[in-house]
Amino acid sequence: MTGRRSVVAAALAASLLAAGCRRGVEPPSPGPGEKRLNVYVWSEYLPREVIDGFTKRTGISLRYDLYDSNEAVLEKLQSGVADYDIVVPSDYMVRILIQLKLLRPLEKTRLKNLGNLDPAFLDKSFDPKNAYSLPYVWGTTGFGYNRTRAQGSTDSWAPLFDPKNRGRILMLDDMRECFAVALKFLGHSLNTTDPAILRQAADLLKRQKPLVKTYNSSDYENILASGDVDYSHGYNGQLAKVVARDPRRFGYVLPREGATIWMDSVCVPARARNVESIYAFLDYILEPEVNASIVNGISYASANIPARKFIRPEILNDPAIYPSEAALARCEFLEDIGEATSILDEYWTEVKAQ
Amino acid sequence: MRRRRLLAAHAALVYLFLYAPIAILVVFSFNRARQTAIWEGATLEWYRSLAANELILTAVKNSLIVGVSSTIAATVIGTLVALALGRHAFVGEGFTRNLLYLPIIIPEIVLGAALVTFFGALALRLSLWTVVIAHIVFCVSYVAIVVRARLSSFDRSLEEAALDLGARPLSTFRRVTLPLIAPGIVAGALLSFTISIDDYVITSFVAGVGATTLPLQIYSMLKVGVTPEINAVSTLLLAVTVALVLTAQRLERRPADRGAGS
Repeated sequence: MTGRRSVVAAALAASLLAAGCRRGVEPPSPGPGEKRLNVYVWSEYLPREVIDGFTKRTGISLRYDLYDSNEAVLEKLQSGVADYDIVVPSDYMVRILIQLKLLRPLEKTRLKNLGNLDPAFLDKSFDPKNAYSLPYVWGTTGFGYNRTRAQGSTDSWAPLFDPKNRGRILMLDDMRECFAVALKFLGHSLNTTDPAILRQAADLLKRQKPLVKTYNSSDYENILASGDVDYSHGYNGQLAKVVARDPRRFGYVLPREGATIWMDSVCVPARARNVESIYAFLDYILEPEVNASIVNGISYASANIPARKFIRPEILNDPAIYPSEAALARCEFLEDIGEATSILDEYWTEVKAQ
Repeated sequence: MRRRRLLAAHAALVYLFLYAPIAILVVFSFNRARQTAIWEGATLEWYRSLAANELILTAVKNSLIVGVSSTIAATVIGTLVALALGRHAFVGEGFTRNLLYLPIIIPEIVLGAALVTFFGALALRLSLWTVVIAHIVFCVSYVAIVVRARLSSFDRSLEEAALDLGARPLSTFRRVTLPLIAPGIVAGALLSFTISIDDYVITSFVAGVGATTLPLQIYSMLKVGVTPEINAVSTLLLAVTVALVLTAQRLERRPADRGAGS
C-alpha cells in the first residue's frame, strides 16, 4: 500500500520537475520573422523614447534589464548562459571583460556613424583602439556641497580635508576614488605607482578619516540633500540630480587640482546572438539626434560631437556635465596600476580599520 | 497588577520595534516630498506615478510569477518529501534529512553561484524560469521542514483507524492526513512565498533577459536614488500579503471548527 503511494509521489514530483525544465529550456531566441535585442544597462541610462524610436524604425523589439554594479555584468557574462546582446560597463570593467575574453570584437566597418565620436574619448588604455567598446557616456568624480553651509573657497579638494568640517563630509566607499582625491590634492597623478607618494596619500586619508561622517557609494546624494553632510564626494551625474532640484542650496565642484574621469562604454558580449540587431542599435545611438535625446534624458555627457547641436543648452553649458577643456585636461582616467594595487589594498585597509 | 502593566508596556515596545519601520514606510508612501526623509504633506502622487511606471510594474509581475509558481511547486515537492521522511524508514533516510537543511545553511551567495554554474553546465539559458527553479530549490527545504514538524505531532492511529474502517489509502490521505497537516502545508507555502518574493542574492545570479524581479529593480535604482514609488509599491505588496495571511488563517481554522462541531 505505502509502496504504491510513494510511486505516485515520485511520479508527481518527476512530472513537475520535467514541466519546470521544459519551460526553462524553451529557447528565448526570436521566433520566425521576429527580431530582438536584449540590453543590460545601468538604471536610468536608456530613455523610453530612444527605445520606442528604435523599435519603430527597425521593427526590432528591445528588451532590457537594469543593473546596479559592474560586477553584475561580469557575473552574467561569466555564466555563459545569459542572453544579452549589449552591455554598458565602466572603464575598468571593460578591461576585465576583455581579459576574460567575454567580449566580441566590433566590426567597425558596419557602423557608418562612427565618425561622430570625439577622438579625445577614444583609444583609452582600458581598450586600445576601441577594439571592443564605444564610449556611451562619461563624467567626472568631484564633490557636491551645501551652499548654505560652505565657507570660503570651494573650487578645491581642500574643504574635504579641513578639520572645520569634521563630521560633515562624506567620501565614496571606493579605494581608487578616495586615493585619487588624496593624490590629486597632493599634486600627483592619480595613477602613480610610487610607493612613497602612495604612503603620503594613505597618511592623508588616515588624517581625514576622523572628519568623515560616512563612506558611502550608493545613495550619497540623498545624504547630501537631507542635510546630514555638507560635502559629498561623488559622481557628477548622481550629484547633478540634487543640484538640479535645488540649485540655490547645492552645487557641484570639479576641483581645480583635477579629478577622476570615468566612462561607461557599450560592448557586445562574446556570446551575443542577435548580431544584425546589435549593429543596427549601435549605429542608431550614434546618430546625432538620438544621441542627444539620450543625453537630454539622462543628464550625462556623451562623446558625440554633432549631437551637441541637439542637446539642451542648460545641459551643454553646465560645467558639472560638460566641463571646460581646461578643467578636463587636469582629469585622468583610472588606469590599471598593476602591482601597486596590492599596496593600495593594504593602505586602504589601514584607513578603514583605523 | 503592576506586573501585568509592565508586561503590557514591554509587549507594546516590542511591537513598536517590529512594526514602526513598516508603519513609517506606509506613511511616507503618501509623502509629497521626493526626498525620502522629510514630511511635506499628503498626496497620492506616488501611487499615480507607480501606475505609469512600467519598469516597477513589470518587476512586480515577475516577482508574483516567480513567487506563486515556485511556492506551488515547492509546496507539493516539500510536502511529499516531509511525508516520505516522516513515515518511512529507508536506506539513507538520515542523509536525506540532513540534505534538506543544506539549501538553508549554505550561504545564499554560494547557492547562487552554484546554480548559475549548474545552469551553465546544462546550457540552460537564463530566464524567468531559471529564477523559478532556483527559488524552488531553497523553498522545498522550508516547506519540508515545516510540514515535518507538523507531522511529528501527528497521531498515526487516526490514519490506521481510517484504513481499518475501509477507507482506501488515497481517500485516507485526502480526508484524514491532508486536513490534519494542512496548517503546516499552508504555513510552509506562506513562508516560501515570503522568502521568494524578497530574495535578492540568488535571484541576481540566475535572472536572465526580462527577468528583473522587484528586489532586483529596487537595487538597480539605488545608483540613481530610490523614489517614493518604491514606498507605494511596498505598501501595496504589504496589503496583499496581509490579506493573504488573514485568508490563510481563516481557511486554516475552518476544518478544525467543523471537526469540533460534528
